[in-house]
Amino acid sequence: MSSPRTRQLRRWMDSWLSPQPEGWRDPMLGLLLAAFYVVLLLGTVADLGYARDEGFYFDAARSYQRWFELLWSDSGQALKNVDKYWRVNHEHPALIKSLFALSHLFLFKKYKLFAMEGTSFRFAAMVLSGLGVGLIYVWGAQARGRLVGLVAALSLAAMPRFFFHAHLACFDAPVVTMWTLCAYCYWRAMQQGGTMWPLLVGLSFGLALNTKHNSWFLPIVCTAHALSLLFFGVAKGLSRKLVFKRAFAALASMAIIGPLLFYATWPWIWHHTIDRLQSYATFHLRHVYYNMEFLGQNYFEPPMPRSYAFVMTAATVPVITLLCFFLGLGLCAWRGWNVLRARGATEQKGPRRTVDPGTVILWVLALAVQYAAWLKSTTPIFGGTKHWMTAYPFLALIAGIGVAAAARRSRLLLARSKLRPLARSRALEPALLGCVLIAPVVQAAHVHPWGLSSYNVLVGGAPGGANLGLNRGFWGYTTGSVAAYLNDNAPRRAKVYIHDTAGPAWDMLRREGRLRRDIRGVWSVAGADFALYHHEKHMSGQEYQAWVAFGSAVPDEIAGLDGVPVIWVYRRPGLRKPP
Amino acid sequence: MTKERLQRLGWWLARYGALLLALVGLAELLAHFYFSNRAPRQSEYSGLAAAVDGMRSAGELVVVAPAWAEPMVRKALGDERMPLSDVARPDEEGYAAAVEVSILGQEAGELSGWQEQQRTRVGRFRLRRVTNPSPHPVKLDFVSALSPQTQVFMSYAPGRRCRWWPKAAVRAGGLGGHPTFPPQRFVCPGSAFLNVGVTVIADQDFRPRRCLWAHPPARGSLVIRYPKVDLGRSIVGHGGMYWIVERTRKGAPVELVIDVDGQRVGRAIHADGDGWSKFSFPLGEHAGKQGATVSFSISSPDYRHRHFCFEARTR
Repeated sequence: MSSPRTRQLRRWMDSWLSPQPEGWRDPMLGLLLAAFYVVLLLGTVADLGYARDEGFYFDAARSYQRWFELLWSDSGQALKNVDKYWRVNHEHPALIKSLFALSHLFLFKKYKLFAMEGTSFRFAAMVLSGLGVGLIYVWGAQARGRLVGLVAALSLAAMPRFFFHAHLACFDAPVVTMWTLCAYCYWRAMQQGGTMWPLLVGLSFGLALNTKHNSWFLPIVCTAHALSLLFFGVAKGLSRKLVFKRAFAALASMAIIGPLLFYATWPWIWHHTIDRLQSYATFHLRHVYYNMEFLGQNYFEPPMPRSYAFVMTAATVPVITLLCFFLGLGLCAWRGWNVLRARGATEQKGPRRTVDPGTVILWVLALAVQYAAWLKSTTPIFGGTKHWMTAYPFLALIAGIGVAAAARRSRLLLARSKLRPLARSRALEPALLGCVLIAPVVQAAHVHPWGLSSYNVLVGGAPGGANLGLNRGFWGYTTGSVAAYLNDNAPRRAKVYIHDTAGPAWDMLRREGRLRRDIRGVWSVAGADFALYHHEKHMSGQEYQAWVAFGSAVPDEIAGLDGVPVIWVYRRPGLRKPP
Repeated sequence: MTKERLQRLGWWLARYGALLLALVGLAELLAHFYFSNRAPRQSEYSGLAAAVDGMRSAGELVVVAPAWAEPMVRKALGDERMPLSDVARPDEEGYAAAVEVSILGQEAGELSGWQEQQRTRVGRFRLRRVTNPSPHPVKLDFVSALSPQTQVFMSYAPGRRCRWWPKAAVRAGGLGGHPTFPPQRFVCPGSAFLNVGVTVIADQDFRPRRCLWAHPPARGSLVIRYPKVDLGRSIVGHGGMYWIVERTRKGAPVELVIDVDGQRVGRAIHADGDGWSKFSFPLGEHAGKQGATVSFSISSPDYRHRHFCFEARTR
C-alpha cells in the first residue's frame, strides 16, 4: 500500500502528465491564459507602428462599420446597398474585418474604452490570438496532460514572430486560432461523437473560411486523418465502423454548414456568388509574386526556394521549442511504429494506455499538410513565416509531448537513483517548464517591436540574419519607431516621404497623436523634407532616390534591432530645425 | 543509422532528455544575450571618424563590412569621407587605396586581393588600410564632368539642344518608380523621361550605381557630347538599368555608341538581364589626345521602359 505522500505525489504527477479530458479547471485556466495574453498584447501595442496591410483593413473595417450602422438604423437600405460597403478589400473574406469594425464601433466610438483608435481595431485580433493560446492549452491538457498544454500554449505565445503578428489588425494570428479551433472541434467530434461537436466542426470551419484562405487545408487534413484511422485501425477504443460514422458526421458538417456560414457572414458574395467566389479563389491561387529576400537573393518569380519554409522556421522559432518538437516527434514516431507493429499496443498497461495515437496523427498531419504547400516551387514566399503560422500550434503541441515525456522519464529515473528525494519534489515539472520557456519569453520581449527582424540564436540573432541575407522586415510598420524623431525634428507642416507605409497606416499614427498632425505624408521624395527608408533588398532603389533628391547619402536617424538597421531617415540638407 | 544505434539514442534521450532540454533552454538564453549584444550600437560608431581620418588620405575609398552596417558608418563619417560618388561607385578599379571598416570579423569581398598596409582596432571595429595592387587612375569621369558646357540633343534634331536646368524640379518615381531626376539636368522636349542628369540606380544585386540617366528617344538617338576632353588610352564604363525594370527580360536592347572626333571607337549593347555590365574601348590613334570631342549616342529599337543609365571614364 502506498503512503499518503506517495499518493499525493502521484496525483500531482497525474495532474501534470495525464490527459485531463473532463472538468472545468482546464477550460478556466485556458481562459485565464487567454486573458493574460490579451493584457500583455495591449500593454505592448503602443510601441508598434501600423503595418501596410493594417492600413487597408482599417479602411475596409470603416466601410463595413458604416454598413452595420445602416443595418441598425435602416435594414432595408443596408440590404439594398451591400456591394457599396462590402466592395472594399473584397479580395479577402470579411469576418475578421467585421470584428475590427464592431470593436471600433463599440469600444472606441461608443464606449470610448481605447485612447488609441488603432488599438480598437487591433483588439479583436488580440482577443482571437489570446483565445488561440488558451485553446491550445485546453487541447494539450485534454489530450496529453497539463504540462503538454502549458508548454504548447506558452511556446506559441512566446514565438517572437507569433507575438508580433498577434498585435496586428490582420488575419494571420486570427486564422491560427480559427484553424486550430476547427481542428479541435473535429478532434472532439471524433473522440465523443454525438451531435454538438460535429455541428461545431461545421460552424468553426465556416468561421475559418471567412477568416483566411489557409482554411482550405482543413478538409484535406481532416479527411486524411479519418482515412488514416480507418486504414491503420489505431483509434483508441473505437471500431472502424464508429470511426467512419463520426468522421462522416464531422466532414459532412464541414461540407454543408461551413460553406453556408461562410456565405451568410460575407455579404460581398451574396450577389454574383459564383463569379465573386471564383475571383476570390483566383486572386489567391494566382497571387502576384511580391519580392522576398532569402539567403541574400531576392525572389520575385518562380522557382521559389523549396527550403524557404523549413529554413525560416529553423531560423525564427526559438531553438528550445524546436528541440522539444523534435524530441516529441521522435517519440511519437517511435510509439507509432510500436502501435503499428502490434495493433493492441493501445491496450497495454501503464501511462501509455491513456494515449490515443489518433490525436498525434491529427497534429502531425496538420503540421505536414501546411508545410507541404511550400515544397512547391510556385508557392509565394513574400509573407515570410506568417504563411505557415497556422502550423505552429501543432508544432508547439508536439513540443509539449517531448517535454512531458522527458519529465515523466526523469522522475522514474530519479526515483531509482541516489537523487530519490528529488523525484518526490513537486518542483520538477515547473522547473522544466521554466527552462524550456525562459529563452523564448526573453527573446520575444527583447525583439519587440521588431518582430519581423528577429532571428534565433541558430543564425546568430538579428546580426546573423542580416549577415546571411535574410529579410529584415516588410509592411513598413517600423515607421512607428521613428515617430518620436519626426516629432522632434520636423519643422511645422514638414513633408515626409513615407515609403512603404500605407497612407491609412500613416494617417492612423497622426490621428492618434503618435505623430504630429501637421506633419504631412507624401508619396515621392521629390519636394519632401524627410525620406523614410524601410529596408528590404528590393527596395534599395527607394533609398537611392533619396540620395539623389537630397544630394547626400548620410541618414539623419537610424533605428533597428541589436545594432542592425531596419529603418532610417534622410533629411533634406539645410532644413531648419523646429523651434 | 543502424537499429542498435537508434535504440541507444532513444535510451540516451529517455534517460537524459529533461537534463538536455534544461541545458539547451538555458544555453539558448545565454546565446541570445551574446548575439543580441554582439554588434556595435549606434553610439559606438561616433568614435570612427577620427580613427578613419588617421588612416585615410583624401580621395581614398571607405568600404564597410558587412554591407548592412554601412548606413551607420555613413552617418558617423558623413559625406566628406563617404561622398555619394564613392558610395555609389561603378567599381573599385580607380581607387589606389581604401579603408575597410569591419565588424563581427567580416571582410569586404570587393577588397580581396588588395594589400594590407595598416590595421587597428577601435572599440568593436577593425580598421584596415589596404592598397590596390593595380589601380587605374581616371583622367576624366564623364558622370562628374556633366555640366552646362556639355551638349545634349536628339540625333534627328541636332540644332535643337536639350536645355540645362540648374534648378529644375526634382522628380522621383516613388515606390516602384523611376530613379530620381536631380535638380541639375538637361531637359529635352517630349517627355519628362527624356533628360540627362546624374542619378543612382539599383543594379542586379541592388547595389547603388551612380550614372548618367540617358533614356533613349522614340526614334534616333540621344546624344551627349563632351567638348575639349583630354583623353587617356581607353574609355571604360558600365551601363545598366534599375534592376526592377530589366529583370523580366522583356525590353528591347539599348545601344550605346561612343565617338571621338566623329570617329566611332566603341559600341556596347545592353540587353535586359545583363545587369550593370562593363564596356571597355581602347582609343587607338586617339589615345592621349588633348581637347577631343567625345559623343555618347543612346538608342533603342523600342524606347518603352528603357531606363538606361551609364557611366564612363577615360583613363
